[in-house]
Amino acid sequence: MSRYTPPVQSKAGQVFDIVVVVVAIFVALWLPLKLGLAGAAKSIDALETKTWEALGQNPTMASIWEKLGYTPETAHDIIQNRFHYIIDWPTLIIMAAVLIGYFVFLFRASDREYRDVINEKFEDK
Amino acid sequence: MWVALSYACWGISIVLALWMLYDWFKVDTTYSEEVLTSSREGELEAVSEKHRI
Amino acid sequence: MTIALEPAVHGDRVSLLRVLGPAHVWALGVGIVLVGEFTGWNFSADKGGALAALIVCWIVGLLYTSVAMIDSEVTSTVAAAGGQYAQAKHIVGPLMAFNVALFLVFAYTMLEVSDAILLGDTIVAKAGVDGLTHNSFIAATIVVLAWLNYRGVLMTLNVNFIITAIAYISIVILFFSVSPWTQGAVLKLNELVTPGNALPYGWIGVIAAFQFGIWYYLGIEGTTQAAEEVRSPARSLPYGTMAGMITLLIAAAMTWYVCASLMPWEYLGITYYPLWDAGKLTGSPLLENLLFIATLLAAIASANGCINDAARAWFSLGRDRYLPSWFSAVHPRYRTPYRSILFLLPIALAFAFIADLNQAITFSILSGVLQYTFMSINIMMFRKKWPLGSIRRGYTHPFHPLPAIVLFCLCVVTFFAIFLGFGSQLIAMVAFYFLISLWFHFYRYKFVRRGDQFTMPWPKPQGY
Repeated sequence: MSRYTPPVQSKAGQVFDIVVVVVAIFVALWLPLKLGLAGAAKSIDALETKTWEALGQNPTMASIWEKLGYTPETAHDIIQNRFHYIIDWPTLIIMAAVLIGYFVFLFRASDREYRDVINEKFEDK
Repeated sequence: MWVALSYACWGISIVLALWMLYDWFKVDTTYSEEVLTSSREGELEAVSEKHRI
Repeated sequence: MTIALEPAVHGDRVSLLRVLGPAHVWALGVGIVLVGEFTGWNFSADKGGALAALIVCWIVGLLYTSVAMIDSEVTSTVAAAGGQYAQAKHIVGPLMAFNVALFLVFAYTMLEVSDAILLGDTIVAKAGVDGLTHNSFIAATIVVLAWLNYRGVLMTLNVNFIITAIAYISIVILFFSVSPWTQGAVLKLNELVTPGNALPYGWIGVIAAFQFGIWYYLGIEGTTQAAEEVRSPARSLPYGTMAGMITLLIAAAMTWYVCASLMPWEYLGITYYPLWDAGKLTGSPLLENLLFIATLLAAIASANGCINDAARAWFSLGRDRYLPSWFSAVHPRYRTPYRSILFLLPIALAFAFIADLNQAITFSILSGVLQYTFMSINIMMFRKKWPLGSIRRGYTHPFHPLPAIVLFCLCVVTFFAIFLGFGSQLIAMVAFYFLISLWFHFYRYKFVRRGDQFTMPWPKPQGY
């Protein structure tokens, strides 16, 4: 097999590639923040009576909250801010499909490239 | 005191950032690109580690 | 130890310096991770309750023990900067390697961002001055540490060793000063964690807690990045990594015990400074200040190690022309990948200014888990292509393939945990990796020299 000689990349091409990567990084990390997709799915289950008992805190817990500077009113939004674990099957299936598809593509494309590498490396000798 | 510390932090950041930029410029103009990018992976292994049993 | 730093252009080559020992490997690994005990792990209590945080502490500990064992074997054999990147390149193939390097750069850069935000917020909380923002402290952390990294790896990791040791000792001091052997005096575990509130969400909460359970140990695998700068990689890397893992398991157990015995889980789950709060709640100003300083030191040590690791992964990408070779420059005097360090600096700064702590941590965890999934498959392929006896391994991990299977299963559970609460972020991240992989496979790879990528003096792999 003949050795593969890569083309020489121009300065402008190198700069362009760097810009592409940087833009991709920012889009991937910043877009979810901007669209509000990032962050936990939590919501507050509001209670009518705001006392330590109603919030399910025993006297020891209540004394610690007070030591940390909280009252039942200010602690209410922390204690009642709960996750709601509902398994949303369509999203779960999409997620699984995206992940599996991604890994399958990675390993298959890598293997094709890897065979070239091995051929070139071990046939020169 | 904390506000002063905050300004000191900005100051240090700017000074060190400028120094790095200066040093980067100096190195890039002093040495050729071939020398700077001459590091090769696995160079030392070939000498120091024998992968034969 | 004296290393002369004269302009060292020997012959016509400049390479990274081989100056590090096992203690530096330990400092790099534990230094990056220890901040996880000071913030981050406690969000697992938010997702599943105090008991869930303990359960995941041990189960995720098992995951990372597998990571450390697998990593030690592969990296003591493939000792090159870039760590898992060089492993992937030799074992799976170029595209996988490209992705792994991006996982590494993202995981470490976002971890660095989290550290800087933590440090800034901690100082602002301590100061309590109106109008004081965390930006100046964030900038100083990132720039000063980048400068330290720029100036040489030995000093960088010597500093890391000292500050990591101080932060670690402060956890031990806190543990012993609250008389852990008697409940009721300071610690009130049985009143704070009751059968009624131990698992507020039931077992699904335990699974969900896996996501932040990762934070107890995330980054220990970074020890491999130092492979090209360690004097004896085949010995130092397994030794430093395993010692680091043991250290962390002990720290994680002590941290949970003290924090869960001092705070109700609802508060523990949302505070940014669980150990500092624990120090406050003991009522001792000495402990409070000690833990305040330790929180800062842990954040600094972690950011420092992250800059080191992310820069080496980026540098390796340039060296193989996966990215423009401009990045593969080594500083002729300090012998560091200086252009990569400088390139990543503004990116880290930008995200530290726009993201919040929770989000930065999630980005980092996501990239980490993608990487562990790769590692479990990678070790299987490594053993198949080069069976035991065909090449010299510095360390051979026991019970193969059990650790790989355990690791893979736990990764699947963690993906499910991320789905519970942060699902859309996961899909966005994977979509990004998928698109950039297409870009690499169909465009960028044409600039890469094929045979040159395989640098290890090994025989041909079996099956090719």
